[in-house]
Amino acid sequence: MDSNEDIYLSDNEEEITAEIVLKTLQSAWQNERLAPEILPHRSDMVECMLGQLQHMERNISKLPKTDLRASIHKMEISRIKFIICNYLKIRLNKIEKYCIPIIKDERQRTDSGTNYLTPSEYKYAQEYLLNMENHMKNVILNKVPGNMQSFDMNKMAEHPNLQTHVFLKAHETVNGVVLEDLVGEDEEIDLEEGSQHILQYKPIADLVKNGKVQLV
Amino acid sequence: MDPYEIEFIGENRIISIIPNFTYDKIYLICGEFGPFRAGLPMNVPLWLALMLKQKQKCRIVPPDWMDMDALENIKEEEKRSRFFTKMPNEHYMVEAKLILGAASEDVPNASEIKTVIKDIWDIRMSKLRTSMDALMKSGGGYGRLDHLTMMEINSVKPLLPAAMDSLLRIQMKSKKTTPANLNVSSFSQSGGSSQNI
Repeated sequence: MDSNEDIYLSDNEEEITAEIVLKTLQSAWQNERLAPEILPHRSDMVECMLGQLQHMERNISKLPKTDLRASIHKMEISRIKFIICNYLKIRLNKIEKYCIPIIKDERQRTDSGTNYLTPSEYKYAQEYLLNMENHMKNVILNKVPGNMQSFDMNKMAEHPNLQTHVFLKAHETVNGVVLEDLVGEDEEIDLEEGSQHILQYKPIADLVKNGKVQLV
Repeated sequence: MDPYEIEFIGENRIISIIPNFTYDKIYLICGEFGPFRAGLPMNVPLWLALMLKQKQKCRIVPPDWMDMDALENIKEEEKRSRFFTKMPNEHYMVEAKLILGAASEDVPNASEIKTVIKDIWDIRMSKLRTSMDALMKSGGGYGRLDHLTMMEINSVKPLLPAAMDSLLRIQMKSKKTTPANLNVSSFSQSGGSSQNI
């Protein structure tokens, strides 16, 4: 955990260490695992790590099979692969589940250049929606009277519950997070560095996305 | 999250081992470790320690906090305090379970330590249940949980957030119906006044 010095290096893309990439990836995985909605993708980190793993695997293949180092490296590689696979899988699950709102939001985000999905995830989402629509048509819509045949996206859409409660740990102090109270009395709280809270996801969604808090 | 995922995260913690073989530094993605010198203590991630232990290539040095006196103090402190005390380790339960499971012969008084850690866990869990009860009764949508470890948070995970979600939904429902009630009453009032005319 002596990474304070290394963190400064991460400002400079060239000098980012594999260790930092791994840490970022792990916290991205944890956040994605616990957030109700889809978060901005970290494909830069995934790609970087996959490259690193490939490099590692190539080196291992040069070692004799019984070498202790080989088994240690293999173990580490499996651990990292688990994180990456799980991370990508959770994203796909969310894309399938909240397909319609995600595509809708993503269109606006792509215009402003702040897209959450990678190009391939976006393509996957669109194809998934198209397949679902075709499936609905084939199975039922084409067989019912003409006035009922339309496929209404908005009625099909399932939205993530942003009001669900989540646990979080603050990485840095954030003051004045406003919790909306139903009675109309908004409550303001401060998240001190290192403190842990349970609260609604919505007011802190942006803090998760910019890394100021970590979901736990 | 599933408990095994918490365990997975906990396995990244660094602990001390004494290897019984000599080897050069090893350059892992999560950092560099070594050099391994037979008989000299060194730091490695917990997962690596367990792996070496399984291959009978090292002895695990119990962490400082895994000590009868220290743990008894923590237990007393935990009993005395109304709030959760700070644990010596963010993943104490995971670490204790894995180390005592794989290398109980490396820890002096292993079975007593196991009992006292279990006691601490039980005290904290009962405290957690009481505070959850208080939180729900106060109808709050927000709670602060300093010093709770990840495994403890996770143990109430399906229940507490779900209960708070339901509470919120009920509050929203009752809020939605309140203006409707007002309308009804104003309607009946106006109805009453029209009768007067």
